[in-house]
Amino acid sequence: MSHSSDEDVAAALGGGQPDALALVYQRFGALVYSIALRSLGARSDAEDVTQQVFVSAWRSRDSFDRRRGTLGGWLVTITRNKVADALRERQREGRVLLQAAGGTAVTAPEAPPDQVIDRIVLADELAQLPESQRLVVVLAFYSDLTHEQIARMLGLPLGTVKSHIRRGLQRLRSRLEADGVTH
Amino acid sequence: MSHTDPEILALRALGETAGTARDAQHAEGCAQCRSELARLTEVVQLARREGSDERLETPPARAWDGIAAAVGGNPASAAAVAATIPTGNGASAPAPRQGRKHRGPRRSRPRGRLTTALAGLAAGLIIGIGGTAGVVQLTKAPAIRVVAQIELRPLPQFAQFQDTTGTALMRAAAAQQLMTVTLHAPRRPGFYEVWLLARDGVSMISLGDLNAAQTGTFIIPPGTDLRNYSRIDVSLQPFNGSTQHSKTSVVRGLLPTAALAG
Repeated sequence: MSHSSDEDVAAALGGGQPDALALVYQRFGALVYSIALRSLGARSDAEDVTQQVFVSAWRSRDSFDRRRGTLGGWLVTITRNKVADALRERQREGRVLLQAAGGTAVTAPEAPPDQVIDRIVLADELAQLPESQRLVVVLAFYSDLTHEQIARMLGLPLGTVKSHIRRGLQRLRSRLEADGVTH
Repeated sequence: MSHTDPEILALRALGETAGTARDAQHAEGCAQCRSELARLTEVVQLARREGSDERLETPPARAWDGIAAAVGGNPASAAAVAATIPTGNGASAPAPRQGRKHRGPRRSRPRGRLTTALAGLAAGLIIGIGGTAGVVQLTKAPAIRVVAQIELRPLPQFAQFQDTTGTALMRAAAAQQLMTVTLHAPRRPGFYEVWLLARDGVSMISLGDLNAAQTGTFIIPPGTDLRNYSRIDVSLQPFNGSTQHSKTSVVRGLLPTAALAG
């Protein structure tokens, strides 16, 4: 199956189509779960938050306005809110436990830094680059190779490698600006 | 004056000394080019930030059931909805296939081209491939780290491959995992294909074909559960148009548990 574009998925949700939430979940479930997992550590908690995010997204789908932001960005915001709720709940439980045990100190729960979320958004977009573009971009990011060396190794024309790098970086940038939290 | 070529800006964001002195001068003086360079540089810095590997993981299948139940049977029924990590190939990944299932005609896969000659990486020669005198390595990127090196050995039931060996080098760079497979075997009719086999012995993921030098580097589809897909298999495939595993395994190896943590 060819996967729907983010815009198609957003339109389906906005239209309240019956299988829209399934599409949204297929497209963004890994992103939401990964942010929750990285924030909360425990898989069971991440699973709970993931469910809360999509249930909440469905119930408040009328408040999603495509003209004001992307579906991905909207879901990231809901995820951050649900993560914050989960951390507060943990703190509350911790306080109850501590009081029962006669202690007092409770450290404040820590939300993950915004850059962590942005890096997960980046990984999500990187995963969606066309495969040849992705391999070039990964090598450009993480190896010490220059674009000329990458071209030679992959047997690709220099122009192709340069174009992959430019398009790849610009696409990652656009996604971060749309769905990330630090911009 | 025309603006700096966007491709040059992208390369400069990566730390390369691309373009002419005039390009550099322009990019410094021009607000638009400077801002574009800053935007791209931020992406590179974010990607290269050391410390933690933020990776994508798919939620367990049961997560959807809870959502479907909570919203009251409105969306698609529980079965058959799974969060996937989409890939740029237009299909969901990972795409494990049943061994017996027909996968359609073999098309010339784009990844075939990319598997060419990454032998340098296989040998760990990340720096200084070829005589690139004059190329200054400004890039201080966290190197791709080696996760595991696995010996590939023939299976006893294939007498014809008993002299064949191979190696698989698994490397990780942030959220990406690369697998480089090199085979030491004579040329044979057909071609060699690299697979990840699941524990059930039926499901498998094709990583791609080895090139004429019998090596290839492949991106392991993000989200692949390597605890399950823990066996590397190289098959000898006839040119018959079938995309299924030929059931002729040349060598195999097992990912060490250290490679599977994380």
